[in-house]
Amino acid sequence: MNRLLNGTLCVTLALGAGLAQAQTTLRVGLNADIRSTEPGVNRDENTDTVMLHIVEGLVAHREDASVGPLLAREVQRSADGMTYTFKLRDGVHFQNGATLTAADVKWTWERYLDPKTQWRCLAEFDGRGGAKITGIDAPDPLTVVFHLDQPSGLFLASMARPDCGGSGILHRDSLAADGSWKAPIGTGPFSLDEWKPGQYVVLSRFKDYSPRDEAGPDGFTGKKTALVDAVRFMVIPDPSSAKAALMSNNIDLLPNVSASDAQELKTTPGVQISFSPIMAICGLLFQTNDPLLKDVRIRQAIAHSLDYGQMVNALSNGTSEPNNSAIPQTSPFYSATARQGYRYDPQEAQRLLSEAGYHGQPIKMIVNKRYSQMFDMGLLSQAMAVASGLNIQMETLEWGTQLERYQSGNYQMMAFSYSSRLDPATSFDSLMGDKSKEPRKVWDNPQAQAVLREAVRESDTARRQALFDQLHTMMIHDTPMVIIYNGTVAAALRDSVKGFHSWPVSSPRLWGVSLAAH
Amino acid sequence: MLRFILQKLGMAIPTLLLISVMVFALIRLIPGDPALLMLGDMADPQSLAEMRHTLGLDHSLVTQFLIWFKAVLSFDLGFSISTKQAVLPLILDRFSVSATIVLVAVLFATLIAVPIGLIAAWKQNTALDLGLVSVATLLLSIPSFWLGLLLLHAFGIQLGWLPVVGYVSFAQAPWQAISYMVLPVVTLTLVEVGAITRMARASTIEVLRLEYIAHARAKGLSERAVLWKHALPNAFAPTWTLVGLILGNLLGGIAVLETVFTLPGIGRLMVDAIFARDYPVLQGCLLLITFIYVLVNLCVDLLYPLFDPRVKL
Repeated sequence: MNRLLNGTLCVTLALGAGLAQAQTTLRVGLNADIRSTEPGVNRDENTDTVMLHIVEGLVAHREDASVGPLLAREVQRSADGMTYTFKLRDGVHFQNGATLTAADVKWTWERYLDPKTQWRCLAEFDGRGGAKITGIDAPDPLTVVFHLDQPSGLFLASMARPDCGGSGILHRDSLAADGSWKAPIGTGPFSLDEWKPGQYVVLSRFKDYSPRDEAGPDGFTGKKTALVDAVRFMVIPDPSSAKAALMSNNIDLLPNVSASDAQELKTTPGVQISFSPIMAICGLLFQTNDPLLKDVRIRQAIAHSLDYGQMVNALSNGTSEPNNSAIPQTSPFYSATARQGYRYDPQEAQRLLSEAGYHGQPIKMIVNKRYSQMFDMGLLSQAMAVASGLNIQMETLEWGTQLERYQSGNYQMMAFSYSSRLDPATSFDSLMGDKSKEPRKVWDNPQAQAVLREAVRESDTARRQALFDQLHTMMIHDTPMVIIYNGTVAAALRDSVKGFHSWPVSSPRLWGVSLAAH
Repeated sequence: MLRFILQKLGMAIPTLLLISVMVFALIRLIPGDPALLMLGDMADPQSLAEMRHTLGLDHSLVTQFLIWFKAVLSFDLGFSISTKQAVLPLILDRFSVSATIVLVAVLFATLIAVPIGLIAAWKQNTALDLGLVSVATLLLSIPSFWLGLLLLHAFGIQLGWLPVVGYVSFAQAPWQAISYMVLPVVTLTLVEVGAITRMARASTIEVLRLEYIAHARAKGLSERAVLWKHALPNAFAPTWTLVGLILGNLLGGIAVLETVFTLPGIGRLMVDAIFARDYPVLQGCLLLITFIYVLVNLCVDLLYPLFDPRVKL
């Protein structure tokens, strides 16, 4: 009897082991838990990362950050730029088996546009931040028509924004009967399996996923086939523990490690690093209403006192290049004009300071230790500026406090990073505005704002390029902030992970990624 | 006894009331806006105002306090600003993780440290005493996160015996749960062994100087009998108070160790809540911790007569 039991147990264990081997699970470290499972509503970057594996929008960002169709087969723009027609791909299924129709798109968008949903990007589509959607039609099951009140060069780019949840199209069953949020049912290559708050999120491969016809993945679009059975996002807040987990093969991938950890992990057997420049804007903000810093010569002097090459090399361990433009280096709009930045010239800085009558008055610069690159950027800037006679004093605040000071404009100088904006118009928009209405804005120049408004309306690429170049030149002259670099994302992964690479949008993509046997 | 318990619990009510007012006020004194932290650097004034309205932050502080306090009286601690989860089940779930680790570690630490303290006192001023005191001082001085990382590196990475990250509860898989608990429990035990050993040694030395010990020896009792039957019961009472304090302190969260070992405990929840200015979660955690502190002290007081018969409740 015992022998029979033992035999049965052995067979069961062997079968179990066989099944466990057949099931491939990619284990990915997240530095913080997701906020919710509702795309684009209660979200942060980690939430976006997870949700963009479950839901898909009509359009999405390509590898080069341009916008291409995703659920749409094609997108037609009317001659007046006020009507967009989306032809949907046929035979796309939701994760509950239902087929995607134009009615689903209309329903999802009407829900997004309802203020009660609290969609993060409502302002981009209700007329506050650009064109207003005046109506959505579904003339046939595979056609959706959006009507706008004015032309907008940003309409598709806003639709594709990761922080908007990629405007992911949802099935109605994502909501409970009372209209409250239940769980996302999208059309993405993975479906939500389990979320254990504070511990992990598990996604399962969606077997009936309908990939696009392209040869391979292209940013958030292209052929997005899941090659692993499941993805397990594990919440590991401490970077040292995350590194230990990767080294001990307890996880397969860390999508974002610090530059110093990347250097260390590069030499670890079984681990490789994937670098990519990103589209964040890292630099020093000036309060142009400050009695001292309202003098453009002092701001320009600070800009000339910094050795950008040396600083960026130190900040990124040689993985990034300096960029003084609000147009990210990886943007298709990063032109020869955008490359014209500040010259490191301590003599010129001293001349400007003397001309402005500066004689060592202290300038307070806010930094924080939550984001080490902001602290280091402040520290290096302070050290370099001393050589030109500038007296910059650092004030270290907690990140939440610094963010409040940024929002209220209550600072002289601060080391700051703007999260990635994928279109130059949105990059400039995050910096520009009327300070009396929005104190957080750093660049208050009505002429420049008129140029930006034109760029937002314009959809012709060449014309947009000219407008962005003009804005860059004006910004370098006004120096409301010194943009230093865009940064680099470094992902650390086990050798067994195949097909993964970092990209300028930074958010990791786990379709097209497979696991070789350990 | 019952009167004593009711009296102690009665005294806890004004403490909790005072704490709830202080917690509410102090948290709001920290600069930073939860709505702004949720929206980040893209927050336009209208979205910010809408978010503040949704979170109920546009009411006056007094109104916010009254709304919260009324709900607390019916055991409703509200919803998390960040994740929208109900606070009470969230903190109870997280507390159970911390409590498991802490109770096991403090039990082990006590079982190890008290005999060591006793032996060190018995062999006072010998090489053995010096060695034990040195180890205890060393353990007391090592930062817990560093010790944790060291053990992680040794047993997780180099030897590969234990998992480095994650957590499994006993309800899910008991054996697996133990493998995830070993490193945090060992770390915490080692850290606490130092403090308890020193206290056990000091109180035993004091007791060994008393006349009744000399009397016991004069009666011809063996050193073992003197130590275990006569010295230990009296020497353990102050150590027991220290164990109670340590327990109360640690049950409030072992944020650093929870972060190093990725344990979803109440300490990490609290740290995350501070960074996100998640007021309801933070208020709920602090209220629970205060209550636990009161409860642990009550238990210590109730058990005191067992170790020191001179104490009457």
